[in-house]
Amino acid sequence: MSDPINVRALAVGTRVMLGSGAEVEIIVNPEDGVWLFARYLSSADDPAMVGTEDMIFAQDVVEIRP
Amino acid sequence: MPMNATRGYHSGLVDLTSGQISREIFVNEDIYAQEQERVFARSWLFVGHESQIPNNGDFFVSRMGEESVILCRDRSGAVRVFLNSCRHRGMKVCRYDDGNAAVFTCPYHGWSYGTDGALVGVPFFREAYHSELDKTKWGLVPVAQLACYKGTVWANWDASAPPFLEHLGEFRRFLDLILDGWDGREGQAELIGGVQKWIIPCNWKFPAENFSGDTYHNISHRSVDLVGAGPSGRSRRDYNELNVARKLHVALPDRGHQTITYALPKDHQPQAAYQNSPEVAEYFRHCEEERRRRPGSNNRLMGAPGEIFPNVALLPRQPRTLAVWHPKSAHETEVWRFFFVDRDAPQQVKNFLRDYYIRYSGPAGMTEQDDMENWNYAHAASRGVIARRYPYTYEMGMGHAVENYEWDGLQIPGRVIDLTKAQASEEPMRNLYRRWAQFMEADSWDELMPWRHETAAQAAQ
Repeated sequence: MSDPINVRALAVGTRVMLGSGAEVEIIVNPEDGVWLFARYLSSADDPAMVGTEDMIFAQDVVEIRP
Repeated sequence: MPMNATRGYHSGLVDLTSGQISREIFVNEDIYAQEQERVFARSWLFVGHESQIPNNGDFFVSRMGEESVILCRDRSGAVRVFLNSCRHRGMKVCRYDDGNAAVFTCPYHGWSYGTDGALVGVPFFREAYHSELDKTKWGLVPVAQLACYKGTVWANWDASAPPFLEHLGEFRRFLDLILDGWDGREGQAELIGGVQKWIIPCNWKFPAENFSGDTYHNISHRSVDLVGAGPSGRSRRDYNELNVARKLHVALPDRGHQTITYALPKDHQPQAAYQNSPEVAEYFRHCEEERRRRPGSNNRLMGAPGEIFPNVALLPRQPRTLAVWHPKSAHETEVWRFFFVDRDAPQQVKNFLRDYYIRYSGPAGMTEQDDMENWNYAHAASRGVIARRYPYTYEMGMGHAVENYEWDGLQIPGRVIDLTKAQASEEPMRNLYRRWAQFMEADSWDELMPWRHETAAQAAQ
């Protein structure tokens, strides 16, 4: 299990990978430590998600993309 | 005390025929619990001022009775009031006093709500709930009714209550004295500084009664008068108008609101005030002259302490403030005091008033300290089994109130006692407890709106 990521510190524009393997870009960070607003960049499980915006739960964020 | 003995408008707890009120209504915990349902869950309650939430996403965590609520301006600019409790397991979704937020997120399981109260984030919605939870049913609980009046925000949990202005009735002109500008322009008030909050060990009705118009306790403030805490360095307020005004108790029996007010003569000229600062004095002299030039009878009223049923105290003039007596337990009240100035007053005037306000009111205010000492000790001394056997008396001035009061062409609504010679009466307190008892007994708002029945009867004739 990877170390937990402090989502409060993630800036708008940061790309992160989710547990599902999808990659999203942060568009708003309410800094509540629980949620991020993000846009899907890729989603192998559900390609229809690409380009859509969704709320991302902190526990779903598994990796910060370079 | 059994509950069936506590619903006592007619059983002796609130006996307005003899002018006696049982101490039980102040100290009995069963009565207190009943009050939360019968008074606070269906009354119009003050929750804040729009100047506290100027921008979209701004919020102020307020209270309604014992319960925490969020006053916020949503992303579209609409004012909202919600119960501050997550629909999943009840945790507070906002634990700050105020701020700006995109969402309110529960720290317990992570449910998240938009500023419009809608449930927008549910952790593992697809995985654990299988996308089957109907989010539209699980938003934050909104108040049943909301009213914004000249910047103030009021809310009610009861959809069957009358609209706010109908509830206010003819008391509106007395509330206007605090919300309109010193020069008479409508709705100029804005909050200055933060909200002062503190807890006092007494039942909420002690301060509510006091601010209903207790002029009898002036002796308590003798030390403040001697110190000269007022804005002219003498007494605690500028009251040169007393020499020419009529001092009145005004009570609206069917609404439960009451106040002290001063009726000024037709051609009255502004009196010297705020003499500790020549610049501030000149500003108020100018405002008073402007106010007298504006049409309407309110320019002949000078505001003084009053109470909007059930738990909002107004003090329109010196200091200009609203207080809310939030019930915390039968034996504790959380006081929130809001101070106001005109939004476009010079900064020098605002600074002067801020200093005067906090010298007078609030937990460190000299006058409020006098009051709190009285309420706190009176409550404590009324809790014992022996003390509770003996009622308080509210007989002062019984039978001396008049209706259709008029002086020098100025008509005053409600039941009025002229205090110019009498100095004091307990008509406002009887009015407060009459309404309180009606709320405690009535099973629906229909029973609490006699004015509607009278209007319907007149229409039928």
